Amino acid sequence: MNTTYEVFRNVCPRNCYNSCAMLSYVRDGKLYKVAGDPQHGFTRGKLCSKGYAYLKYVYSPNRLRFPLRQYPRGSGKWEKISWNEALEQIAEKILELNKRYGSNLSLTYNNGSGNIGLLHQYASAAFFNSLGQHTKPVGNFCLAAGQDAFTYDFGQTLNPDPEQMGYAKLILLWGANPACTAIQQMKYINAARKAGAKLVVIDPLFTSTAAKADLYIQIRPGTDGLLALGLAKKLIENEDYDREFVENHIYGFEAFSRYLNNSDFSPSRLSTVTGITEEAFYELSQLLKEYKPCSSWIGYGFQRHSNSGQSIRAINALMALTGNIGKSGAGAYYLHLGQEAFPLKLANHNSSVQNRLVNINDFASSILSLQDPPVKFIWISGRNPLSQDQGLTAWRELLNQLELIVTVDLFMTKTAEHSDLVLPAASHFEEYDLNISYWHYWLALNEKALPAYYEAKSDLEIFRLLTRKLNKLSAGFSDFPAELSAEDWLASEITTQIKVSYGINSWQDLKNGPKKLQMEIPWSSCKFRTASGKFEIYSKLARKNNLPALPKYHPPQSSKHPFQVLSPQKNEFIHSQTKWLPRIIHDQASLVLINTNDAQTHNLRDDESVILYNDNGSLSKKVQITDSVPPGVLVVFQGGQEPINSLINESFCDMGKLKNHYNGNAFYDLFVSLKKGGDSAEAAWFFV
Amino acid sequence: MFNVDQCIGCQSCISACKNENQTPTGVNWRRVSQITEDVFLSLSCNHCDSPECFRVCPEKAYTKQRDGIVIINPNRCNGCMDCVAACPFGAPQFDYEQHKASKCTMCYTRLQNNLQPSCVEACPTDALKIVDFNQDLPVSVELTVAGFPDIVLTRPSTRFIPPQPRRRYRLNCLN
Repeated sequence: MNTTYEVFRNVCPRNCYNSCAMLSYVRDGKLYKVAGDPQHGFTRGKLCSKGYAYLKYVYSPNRLRFPLRQYPRGSGKWEKISWNEALEQIAEKILELNKRYGSNLSLTYNNGSGNIGLLHQYASAAFFNSLGQHTKPVGNFCLAAGQDAFTYDFGQTLNPDPEQMGYAKLILLWGANPACTAIQQMKYINAARKAGAKLVVIDPLFTSTAAKADLYIQIRPGTDGLLALGLAKKLIENEDYDREFVENHIYGFEAFSRYLNNSDFSPSRLSTVTGITEEAFYELSQLLKEYKPCSSWIGYGFQRHSNSGQSIRAINALMALTGNIGKSGAGAYYLHLGQEAFPLKLANHNSSVQNRLVNINDFASSILSLQDPPVKFIWISGRNPLSQDQGLTAWRELLNQLELIVTVDLFMTKTAEHSDLVLPAASHFEEYDLNISYWHYWLALNEKALPAYYEAKSDLEIFRLLTRKLNKLSAGFSDFPAELSAEDWLASEITTQIKVSYGINSWQDLKNGPKKLQMEIPWSSCKFRTASGKFEIYSKLARKNNLPALPKYHPPQSSKHPFQVLSPQKNEFIHSQTKWLPRIIHDQASLVLINTNDAQTHNLRDDESVILYNDNGSLSKKVQITDSVPPGVLVVFQGGQEPINSLINESFCDMGKLKNHYNGNAFYDLFVSLKKGGDSAEAAWFFV
Repeated sequence: MFNVDQCIGCQSCISACKNENQTPTGVNWRRVSQITEDVFLSLSCNHCDSPECFRVCPEKAYTKQRDGIVIINPNRCNGCMDCVAACPFGAPQFDYEQHKASKCTMCYTRLQNNLQPSCVEACPTDALKIVDFNQDLPVSVELTVAGFPDIVLTRPSTRFIPPQPRRRYRLNCLN
């Protein structure tokens, strides 16, 4: 028997800040264990609890092995079919619809962040573009509002190197919870703390990161903008701002000061609205004055409110006023758009096609409104919209209109359960890919480490086969380059510019280890990409787009329903990706976390069943009483048997359309009422 | 040594242990428990000075090595579960399929290869560490910490750095 392992380089492709590089130990085509890749300078040889459990993912008994057909849809009557049968049914439907309507506009797709490797994330965009005009979803579920806010202020979204956060003297986390969602960043935060830095967490929830903060400030959801503007006003009044930076590099300081002077940003109003005591406010303003450099990190949950673009602009303004831009250990952290430097050949395949565009954040309603022709075919990959999208009522209606629903996944998700065809997807160990983090600066190769798992295939491979099938039935129907392998696509991403900026000669060089982007500290030259060339507190572009030119405080949404629901990530799972997870004793998505006072008012006990309801519907959850949640707020984790998203409908941020066609998703502007009762039998139990 | 002040409860240690040792379903050599809202304890075998597992085992399956590591020989284990009942820390884990107890080996084969135990390697905040008692320990080190079972009986080899106080402003509920 072979006793030595072959070691391959892989990258965790989950939608996560860390994008950890891993080594997989393979013997006789079987994965034996995984380890962190010590050559990765950001993750430094560590993985998270999900990463170390990847054997359970690859070999989960719940993993899909063969193409499946369900008839009738939703009946649970599944039949194993061959790839040939599956592809033939899909191709025939596509061709029939094309004949019926004289175009491909009745075809659409919905792709998510299930695998954010370049060759997975953009495969469906390339395939559908290869068919010419179709119905194309655009927009961004996650971070559109923040991206626009950064664009208005800086002219571009650029993340400082997160490794530099280790040199900060003050770290402000606004709704970011790295102890759960970016555990590798904790090393740099701790390094800074060890060197005397203060860690401040501003969050409605007492998170695991808040527990480790030197100063934790609990705040009412959606009111951070007011706090940031209040701090700005105080620093300006006391002349505790960076005069040199303001005079030379900020556009619109006077207008901003006037706005602050003419509006009520008094500590008492701040206290009333944000729930923060005057003492906490004073302490925070002193820290901002005394501790430099300061790094601010705005979490993605932060911007899932209707006023979040303005709030982010307010925080950016605070960083600029204090001169915390363009220096080591300083800066406003949000998002690293590392992918933008790559040609993204898949995403840009036939990108000049004039498609019929729909808003991905209002997907089902938008599609339902389309006629001539109506949409009849959908391809869903890397996403579980029936758990994770908003507007699920519209989705139910949409399902009835569709003649063929194809879902590509590793597991039988809620969405797969309502599909006609389910195609088994490859895990990242089974196919090549290239991974660029949206947080750190490292580029890593994901090698093919394992043979195909039963009949599972990568998204790219599936589209290669489907193209061949289509073109056989109707010559030249798709111009997707089916002859190109994954390796060919990788090679096409490594341009001369990429070679220089990452110090490599070819993608094969990455087999020796990940490489870091060589880039100067963002904005260290103080040449901003705005119209004025300065940091724009006053943005004419924003005004042109019918937004306030200055960062203004807009009160958050309110409702007749008394509770606001936040649905943050857990460290054990991401979004609804739970079907394979070991060690979770029961489905945490079946819980609702409620503050002790609220539990008393409603006479609730732990484990009791309650019904959460609003105009969009109702669902049943089990009570868990905790003071990590403030009064008036409930926490429900994503996914599960009764996804919390079924109560969200048409809730959008104030920004997003500048860079992502449509405004972002305000998932956290969700309000519900609560009553006792409900079915307690829904808790699904998962064992290792 | 376990630094309570640094542990973020991320459970990487549990997962890394299972990945390294391929322990079966329900057998978790390392476990993380939440003691209070903000304190987690990551615990495994404490490789005690006076191991109770060693004392109670009728088959003499346990040995205390010269380096201090307590090891169970699975070939000797008869599945009586006396050690499971006796250990105050829940270190011996019972595998109902194999009908045998097993527990943390401190990854001694990794230690022999100059590698850290898998839980230590995985810890993102260095809350878990191997320390040499013959060298200087940090001044703040404690023999026990709130939430840890009584140490008198078995004298565990685990040392703790307790949680430090922090400033916290909760929501001003009056408004």
